[in-house]
Amino acid sequence: MSNGQNGAEQRLVTPGMAIGPSDGVRVGSGALAHNDTIIATRLGWVREINNTVSVDPINSAYMPRSGDLIVATVAEVRNNLWFMNINGPFQGLLPMSLAPWKVEFGAARQHMGIGDVVLARVQEVDECHNVVLTMKGVGLRRLNQGSVHSVPINHIDRLRGEGNAMLQRLRDASDCRIIIGENGKVWIDGDADGMAWARKAVALVQSSGHKSTFEAEFSALEKTTQKKGDA
Amino acid sequence: MVELVPTLLRQELARLAEDDLRLDGRGRWEGREVTLETDCLYNAEGSAKVTMGGTIVYAGVKFELRTPWPDRPSQGSLMCGAELRPVAHRKYEPGPPSPQSIELGRVVDRGIRESGCIDMESLCIVPGEKVWGVMIDIHVLSDGGNIFDACGLAAIAALRTAIVPAERFDVGEDYTLKVKGTPIMASFTRVGGRYVYDPSEEEELGGDERIHITLGDEGHLHSLQKGLRGVFTPAEFAEIFDVAHHRCVELRKLVANQEGN
Amino acid sequence: MGGYGDVQLLRDDGLRLDGRKLDEMRPVTIEAGVLPAADGSAMVTQGLNVAVAAVYGPMEAHPRKIQRQDRAVIDVRYNMAPFSTSDRIRPGFNRRSREISKVTAEALESVVLVERFPRSKIRVEIEILAAEAGTRCAGITAAAVALADAGIPMRDLIVGVASGKVEDIVVLDLDKAEDNYGQADLPVGILPNTGEIAFLQMDGDLSPDEYNLAMEYNFKAAAEIHEIMVDALKRRYEGGES
Repeated sequence: MSNGQNGAEQRLVTPGMAIGPSDGVRVGSGALAHNDTIIATRLGWVREINNTVSVDPINSAYMPRSGDLIVATVAEVRNNLWFMNINGPFQGLLPMSLAPWKVEFGAARQHMGIGDVVLARVQEVDECHNVVLTMKGVGLRRLNQGSVHSVPINHIDRLRGEGNAMLQRLRDASDCRIIIGENGKVWIDGDADGMAWARKAVALVQSSGHKSTFEAEFSALEKTTQKKGDA
Repeated sequence: MVELVPTLLRQELARLAEDDLRLDGRGRWEGREVTLETDCLYNAEGSAKVTMGGTIVYAGVKFELRTPWPDRPSQGSLMCGAELRPVAHRKYEPGPPSPQSIELGRVVDRGIRESGCIDMESLCIVPGEKVWGVMIDIHVLSDGGNIFDACGLAAIAALRTAIVPAERFDVGEDYTLKVKGTPIMASFTRVGGRYVYDPSEEEELGGDERIHITLGDEGHLHSLQKGLRGVFTPAEFAEIFDVAHHRCVELRKLVANQEGN
Repeated sequence: MGGYGDVQLLRDDGLRLDGRKLDEMRPVTIEAGVLPAADGSAMVTQGLNVAVAAVYGPMEAHPRKIQRQDRAVIDVRYNMAPFSTSDRIRPGFNRRSREISKVTAEALESVVLVERFPRSKIRVEIEILAAEAGTRCAGITAAAVALADAGIPMRDLIVGVASGKVEDIVVLDLDKAEDNYGQADLPVGILPNTGEIAFLQMDGDLSPDEYNLAMEYNFKAAAEIHEIMVDALKRRYEGGES
């Protein structure tokens, strides 16, 4: 809501609100052109970059895109595939051919059962939202320890920070292994103190990630960690 | 909808339990902050709103005139029902009342009824002809865990502020419903192998069986319920009974303070 | 409408029983994000009405037969709490609620960009906690704020608002007595930015001129309520900057 440095105005808009004339600009996500006017379709912040006007939504459901790294949970097992809860509108499907193991037909259950948590990648999404996952790739695996936390989709960038700076701070302060899934699921593993601290940090992102006070609150929380005496 | 229980959640809850910790940092017998508001709904003769963490529950009291049961000609009646409508959580589906919501309503009902806080004789207008039927309806708007305690608290708080609408029914002047006592419920869920008080949504998801204890003003038991799959020992019960006792005294004070305002 | 001519609904000074002017609505308050368990939510009070809406989804549409290959379906349940009215309502199936749910869903489908979410379902739960005439309108307003709060893409919000007729005079936003004894009720759902109408019901007796005046009142009130809706959504995220 303050004025940005390059005259770019930080404006919060609601669905239906006119953002400006559509003449000569491209319409990005969260907006549409109607009668020579760009209209917001989401609750969020107006962004104008490279002559493209879009709205960064404040709240959003996870919409899978091919290539996304996600933390998923097995919801159903068949003879030759797994159905995964990916925290989106639709389940993802992991065929045994894309599992990291050699799986015999009918033996899928021996490798992963309902409730198991995995690190996977979205292989393909078709127009009807059929989502195929893969676990073939570096680092993709079943997660046998640690814990999974939820963060709003629109806060993921903030959790990572520019050039992963925030993620690095989280890792340093907690001394935990942390993986951020594009689907709003964050996996954290470390010792009890580190995980307890990381849990607080994720809760802070959940409650205050969208506020301008976030950085200050996070820094204060960072000082509470025992991991770095001088942090 | 059957909720998916991630293996890692159960694993983590068990690990935390070893150090006697909880996911949200609470102590084992520590409750979340409770807020209570009464007289908050126009059209209800008594009403209350309770929030406990992410749980939000409303209760409203209505009266009706009815003919008494033939075997109890001078007694009115009390009914308490709960609705777990799909507004409250993704996991609740539309349709006829689920066994879950019937259990919830009946457990709250028993605690209030059996505490004797409502004198059924006092609800009689003309013996054998006309008595009051008191109906407490509980509406869960957001299930953030431990809806039982929130519902029990909302129900008794609403009841204690109820005005009998006698004028509207042409049977005299309105008066405050006489309620002797404040039965309070305390609930425990087995999480990571041991019982905790006031389980959160995640603790319920990754936990096991639960026990609900309703105590009256004198500390007497008025309703007990064990729900979900699992077993417990008499020693475990003795431990949570003691906690319930203390917690019920505190919550009873909260109700009294609200009335004092 | 009752249409009983013997109940006085307008005072001798031309104001209404509760002191409102003919084109004055009851006070409206809106709060967004009131239900922690929901993906989006809102509470609307209008006079003594209390309406709460929760949004869940988009999620996979079940059962499969309700799925649409080309768009999302919006599943609305409008429900009055048992204690919301002067006589208790028995929970369960109710023709009035079913009808309101149906037309509300269709109104919301007219603004939500449903084609973005093929095969999915968006659940909208409208709960009336206290009713004093005009609950379907308060419910529509609450649903629109809850959808925006949930981040569901929409081409506009919808504002629920009603005008009616009492003692042969058109008035805005009927209260309980006016609804019971008045001569007409015209509830609408207005798209505040485009000026289109997505929800329309009416019962009673209105001349064409009276209809036009009632609609004029409705549009005027919709603009006022829209400001309150926008304010509620902004307040929810105040202090926020991307």
